[in-house]
Amino acid sequence: MSKQPWGILAEFHTPEQLWKACERVRDAGFTHWDAHTPFPIHGLERAMGLKRSWVSMVVLVLGLGGAAAGMGLQWWASTQAYPLVVSGKPLFSWPAFVPIMFECGVMGGAAGAFLGFLGLSKLPQHHHPLFNSKRFERFSDDRFFLSIESTDPEFDPEGTAWLLRSQGADHVEVVEA
Amino acid sequence: MAEAQSTLEVSEPVDLDPIERRPDLIEGNPSFHDITEAVARPLEWKAPLGWYLFLAFSLSLLGLLGVSLAWLIWEGTGIWGNNVPVAWGWPIVNFVFWVGIGHAGTLISAVLFLFRQRWRTSINRTAEAMTLFAVACALIFPAIHTGRPWLDYWMFPVPNQMSLWPQFRSPLMWDIFAVNIYGTVSLIFWYLGLIPDLATMRDRSTTVLKQRIYGLFSLGWRGSHRQWLHYERAYLLLAGLATPLVLSVHSVVSFDFATSQLPGWHTTIFPPYFVAGAIFSGLAMVITLMVICRVVFKMEHIVNMLHFDRMAKLILATGTIVGYAYATEFFVAWYSGNIYEFFAFKNRALGPFAWAYWTMITCNVVIPQVFWFKKARRSIAVLFVVSIFVNIGMWFERFVIVVTSLHRDFMPSSWDYFTPTFWDIATFLGSFGLFFTLFTLFVRFVPMVAIAEVKGVLPQAHVHHHNPIVHGSQGGRGQ
Amino acid sequence: MEIQTPSLPSDRVALPNQGIWRRLPTLGMAIGVVGLLLTGLLGKGHPADALHSYLVAFLFFLSLGLGGLFFVVIQFLVRAGWSVTIRRLAEHVMATLPLFALLFIPIALGIHEIYHWTHADAVAHDPILQHKAPYLDAGLFHLRAIVYFVIWSAIGLYYWRTSRRQDEIGEASITRRLQNLSPLAIILYGLSQTLAAFDWLMSLDPHWFSTIFGVYFFAGSVVGILAVLILLALSLQRAGALHELVTWEHYHDLGKLLFGFTVFWAYIAFSQFMLIWYANIPEETEFFAARWNTGWKSTSIALALGHFVLPFFVLLLRDVKRQRLGLMVVSIWLLAMHYLDLYWLVMPNLHHDGPALALADVTSLIGVGGLFLAVLTRLMAKGALVPMKDPRLAESLLFENA
Repeated sequence: MSKQPWGILAEFHTPEQLWKACERVRDAGFTHWDAHTPFPIHGLERAMGLKRSWVSMVVLVLGLGGAAAGMGLQWWASTQAYPLVVSGKPLFSWPAFVPIMFECGVMGGAAGAFLGFLGLSKLPQHHHPLFNSKRFERFSDDRFFLSIESTDPEFDPEGTAWLLRSQGADHVEVVEA
Repeated sequence: MAEAQSTLEVSEPVDLDPIERRPDLIEGNPSFHDITEAVARPLEWKAPLGWYLFLAFSLSLLGLLGVSLAWLIWEGTGIWGNNVPVAWGWPIVNFVFWVGIGHAGTLISAVLFLFRQRWRTSINRTAEAMTLFAVACALIFPAIHTGRPWLDYWMFPVPNQMSLWPQFRSPLMWDIFAVNIYGTVSLIFWYLGLIPDLATMRDRSTTVLKQRIYGLFSLGWRGSHRQWLHYERAYLLLAGLATPLVLSVHSVVSFDFATSQLPGWHTTIFPPYFVAGAIFSGLAMVITLMVICRVVFKMEHIVNMLHFDRMAKLILATGTIVGYAYATEFFVAWYSGNIYEFFAFKNRALGPFAWAYWTMITCNVVIPQVFWFKKARRSIAVLFVVSIFVNIGMWFERFVIVVTSLHRDFMPSSWDYFTPTFWDIATFLGSFGLFFTLFTLFVRFVPMVAIAEVKGVLPQAHVHHHNPIVHGSQGGRGQ
Repeated sequence: MEIQTPSLPSDRVALPNQGIWRRLPTLGMAIGVVGLLLTGLLGKGHPADALHSYLVAFLFFLSLGLGGLFFVVIQFLVRAGWSVTIRRLAEHVMATLPLFALLFIPIALGIHEIYHWTHADAVAHDPILQHKAPYLDAGLFHLRAIVYFVIWSAIGLYYWRTSRRQDEIGEASITRRLQNLSPLAIILYGLSQTLAAFDWLMSLDPHWFSTIFGVYFFAGSVVGILAVLILLALSLQRAGALHELVTWEHYHDLGKLLFGFTVFWAYIAFSQFMLIWYANIPEETEFFAARWNTGWKSTSIALALGHFVLPFFVLLLRDVKRQRLGLMVVSIWLLAMHYLDLYWLVMPNLHHDGPALALADVTSLIGVGGLFLAVLTRLMAKGALVPMKDPRLAESLLFENA
């Protein structure tokens, strides 16, 4: 019984090799593939042909929402729910409400950044086929990996492995699903 | 994506800085793997005896805190020296002291990140952890200062049986929001930075238990660049949010004083002055802790003299701003023509608490001047001693602000001298127990240096491009 | 030690030959002199009006020079590499500072028309002013002004000269010397600028005081210089200079700094306002009462919206910071707001009921502005627009935003 493998994993020694391999794989028209590195390599998204992340939008929306909620809460509590004159100031003392409005805006934005990151990178994830590979453990230490999924329309077990090997991969292996 | 090839020929500089011949950010030219090993070592080796001794010491101080709090709840706030006219005594001094210390972590992780100061990578994790623990210590004091801590929920905007809502015009309410949100955002920031490093610990763990725990907290991270892309953007945005947040938090703390009409408290420079002072004190605490950690855990090549030199310069800079604020306050107190205002300042410098005022000036303004000398900035002994003095000086600054402004009320018949009680001192020392306990556990179970970030600043992490310079054209989304 | 720096084509680092640039030194001078003469004529009947207008224009351009000084010195203090190719523009703006010593003369002479505390009869009936007399004294006021101008001119000219000398001899030691002097320069700048703001702006209302006022003036002047640097670089590039030397990466960073200092200005302005509003002590609140309970209310609102809210949201957008039109509009807008800020600080002292636009506002702005531009372009014509032998030039040229 032959099961369709998850994909192919190539291991590189240096960021440069990975970078070149990424450009090659990008130009070959692959779409379901990824690079795995111990630290973010500045600009690799260009070599991979990726678009900018739109975590920023989530942050903007939740940030403004948080600020509005903060001001709304203070307005409602001070003028509707429990109107009480304190130190001769108006019920809606907006200058006094700015600090909390600001803090709530930052809270919303920070939550947006964190949740946006998790959502867009599909984390937390309990298991991933890549963790079946013993060598892959070194992605978080000192090795640079390139993975191509078998679902990619361009994928072909031998040709793809050859392509990666030709880019100077130290090791190329098939990852089981 | 339109990119124009430049017609200029510029070769990349060999050295990062042609003027200084800076020492490398990380000494000894280590490989990526060496970094992993060096940072993971304290988590995987048997802890040295010193670690256990220090933990025992911290725990005993923590016990003192427990006893002090229990006695406080049993007996009431009368066990403290707080009394009219000095109704805000040590608890508020300690609160401001701890919150202030909690500012350096975010400065180092967020502000220096935005200013592309890559040297921060060796110290940001520890500084952020210190921030969290300092905020935890700080939060104790307002909570217990209410006298009836079981009613603290009155301060939160939650529907309750009395149909009461908090009084949002009070700066103390702003504090509740500011400090809690600061703690939460700092935790998110710290944790986000930890995710890749926890994955490293997961991938090298030797026992199933460790693998499970680190695996759980690393959320299934697999270093994919599609993830890094969102990660880096989120990190940048968090830094962008944390920077105004760090300014706002100590500004709000300063509002607790400055919105009043009390001479010595009500002055418009308080917000930026408090922020500078907070960063000043926090950096001193980072130096104190880093000096100890790098010796105990043998990380001299990761946290080297370059890092201390930079921090000492920041101390000098923020200390100068604090000195500027002291001078401006004093001058305007006279210039205002308000006799009460000027009296408050004369009383600080010459009154019964002059000893506290001059301790503050000596520790905060005079002693840090040694950092003008490179030798001092690069001597571990000098750094350690000066950082302790700054910590002391900044505690006294808050003491001077709180106590000397209150102890001579408008009515001379109410004048009094403030003396702390045994329990004031015990609670304060006890808060160090909480701080040190958390910190001691941190260095043992969490990577204390940001592994992924340090790897990113090693020379071999830099991909050399074959094309000269590429500039995004107008409106380009190039980089 | 000589440092290898990339060689730059000379046509890119020189002031453009075509367009208005070469004519500005004389043209600006002519316009400036005419503007000042007109202001003088307008002030014939009521000198106080013209002098107040003149004070706003003087402070506006002075603050740009001071902002330039801060920008240059801080680059040396933090050893910045990214900013090298735009630093020279700020150095030129900073080197105009001696001009303002000259332009201060009308204020020094007209002190009686502007500052209430110079009126001996008023002081005689006012215990507060008597208390302040040791500081608010005409002689000392002039003496302090001389000290400020000596400090600013000395720092400005020294840095300008020394930095330009490096173009010729290319010594790295020059950079080191300027770095070593920068802490001293920044401290002198901080103190003198604070006291100058107290003297020339805060003492307009001699009863009022605010410890943050020096920082407030500083925040506005940094917003001003950043807008000016963006505009200078954009218009020089349009005329063909600085090609590929100032890139979108630099503009992006200047835009980010502009955003940051707009927020910083708002933070300082809000702190000052909120604390005074909250405590509501008469001698402090009068400052805001004069700008809120009068016809100045709409100006105050316009300042809050225009100097902070609007640019905040516009500059939040990444594309605005990497695009010619966007940057141009925002920079011009913020410069206008910086002028409005100073106008709002000065003018309620003269027109208590509300803003009253006068011809002298325009003529003095043209007058001081003309001379400022004339001196600025004359300085720019002398030598390179970029520190050609700065050791960090390569770093700046290769600079990319992360």
